[in-house]
Amino acid sequence: MDDGKRKVNAWWGVLPLLLGMLLLAGCSGSGNAQGISEDGKLLVTATTGMIGDAAREIGGEHVEVTTLMGPGVDPHLFKASQGDIRKLDRAAVVFYGGLHLEGNMERVLVKMAAQKTVVAVTDDMPRDRLIGSADTGEFDPHVWFDVDLWTVAAETVRDTLIEKDPANAEAYREQGERYLNELKELDTYVRERMLEIPEEGRVLVTAHDAFGYFGRAYEVEVVGLQGISTAAEFGARDVSALRDYLVERNIKAVFVESSLPARSMQAIVAGAAQQGHDVTIGGELFSDAMGEPGTEEGTYIGMIRHNADTIAEALK
Amino acid sequence: MMDFWIILTAVLVASACSILGCFLILRRMALVGDAISHAVLPGIAIAFLMSGTRDSMWMLLGATAFGLLTVFLIQTLQTSGLQSDASIGIVFTALFAVGVLLISLNAQHIDLDLDCVLFGEIAYVPWDTWTLGGTDMGPRAVWMLGITLTVILLLLGLFYKQFKICAFDPAMAVACGIPVLLFHYLLMGMVSMTAVSSFESVGAILVVGMLIIPAATAYLLTNRLGVMIGLSVAVGIVSAVAGYLISYALDASIAGCIVSVAGILFILALILAPKNGLIARFARRRNIAQVV
Repeated sequence: MDDGKRKVNAWWGVLPLLLGMLLLAGCSGSGNAQGISEDGKLLVTATTGMIGDAAREIGGEHVEVTTLMGPGVDPHLFKASQGDIRKLDRAAVVFYGGLHLEGNMERVLVKMAAQKTVVAVTDDMPRDRLIGSADTGEFDPHVWFDVDLWTVAAETVRDTLIEKDPANAEAYREQGERYLNELKELDTYVRERMLEIPEEGRVLVTAHDAFGYFGRAYEVEVVGLQGISTAAEFGARDVSALRDYLVERNIKAVFVESSLPARSMQAIVAGAAQQGHDVTIGGELFSDAMGEPGTEEGTYIGMIRHNADTIAEALK
Repeated sequence: MMDFWIILTAVLVASACSILGCFLILRRMALVGDAISHAVLPGIAIAFLMSGTRDSMWMLLGATAFGLLTVFLIQTLQTSGLQSDASIGIVFTALFAVGVLLISLNAQHIDLDLDCVLFGEIAYVPWDTWTLGGTDMGPRAVWMLGITLTVILLLLGLFYKQFKICAFDPAMAVACGIPVLLFHYLLMGMVSMTAVSSFESVGAILVVGMLIIPAATAYLLTNRLGVMIGLSVAVGIVSAVAGYLISYALDASIAGCIVSVAGILFILALILAPKNGLIARFARRRNIAQVV
């Protein structure tokens, strides 16, 4: 049997490849100075658009912010591309949502904290203001829909930037102040818009339970079709139960979400129509991701305003 | 350094999977990797219900237990006379369904899908390091996969002849006095361990692809097991390295690029293989026609 010999020959072909790989890895090692852009800005990477927006507003001209998850991306199911890991690698500061929002990526982010400043913007939020149970440590991660609670995240971003880049502390403090004020105005705005809806009709029906914080903060009853995970399937009973609920409560509109397909909601609308109840799709809400950059909805404030306006117009 | 760790991880996964893949293809069980990737769902559900956390240690334990159970059941069904594709299909769909049931009954409000809690992502490997007594020992995945590959090489090195005869001709193996069933279970056990530990480090698609494609490519090129294993590993490693370079150039998913390269290599082999390739067959047919 000359099998053994042949096997050795095949391995010889592999050897130069391995060597080439080592060489390549050696060459393409970290090039520019860690964490500072060519024009001297602090490099910040954020996982979701909402967090990136806060960093951009507070950091202003002193930071260069990159966001990993673009419009319409579901953070639970996000898969990093080769470019994304470069963005993480060169950043001086990484902000993420935490509370398991980023799924499996969170484990890596926690480990990365040993090598650079990696901060979960929900870390400073008092645990009793979070929805979920403290026993298991499982909290609902969609905190940005309670604007007042989200100011805590903005403060965390501000404090981290000040600590990391004390030379520009004054600017961060000033811009942080301005942004926090804008958030306070936004909170009032959303509250007022929700009050326009008559109390018995203040029911928000959406595909998945991303709006728990929104409901609690602005006294809106939230009914979700899906469980908390975007991956869990809903059963046929969930669909018919929700349809009956719509008919019974005489709810005018249901909502679809930007990062989820609209199909399930359309099924419910059709089901309710068969029972002689007229429900419309009230519009598209932003849930896990913001709108296209450059548009009004491509900022955190614009996205929340869009949601509040859409809900108020459809239900009042 | 980041690139080096990712490529090294990919090469380790590719090597381990392409070696085992050869035996799986010969035993017509190539899809066992995909089966394991689904069948571990009840494992992580039970691990979550027992521990109450989504800590990766518990998830890995649950997945390992159910990975082994899966291959054990598949092997047992097959030994009792069912075709291998049917036994794989029955075991993994049934177990996956149990997992879905467990989650929808007990943990509906917890984000507990495989993508989220078990499957890793090769892009994150460089940061998921293992620290021992305060010193950074490098990525955990490299250690885990390195140990897995060593175990595979050791077992196959020691019992190469036995594994070979069992793969090609179990009847003859029995006649030679080789405990065939033991070697079947041993091979499947290795597949299960490799699959689960690689899922945890690099995600499902890369593992399933690397278990099948390099071995299938090598299968087209040779009739000797030793050569087949060598070629399979070579295809796996070339895919890993070239795939990473392409993902760098395209800013795309690393696992996606690696498996795509493997797919392209397979198509090349399908067309160009010296004996069984499409061109060779076409030429042979023409020759016959001319002679006639």
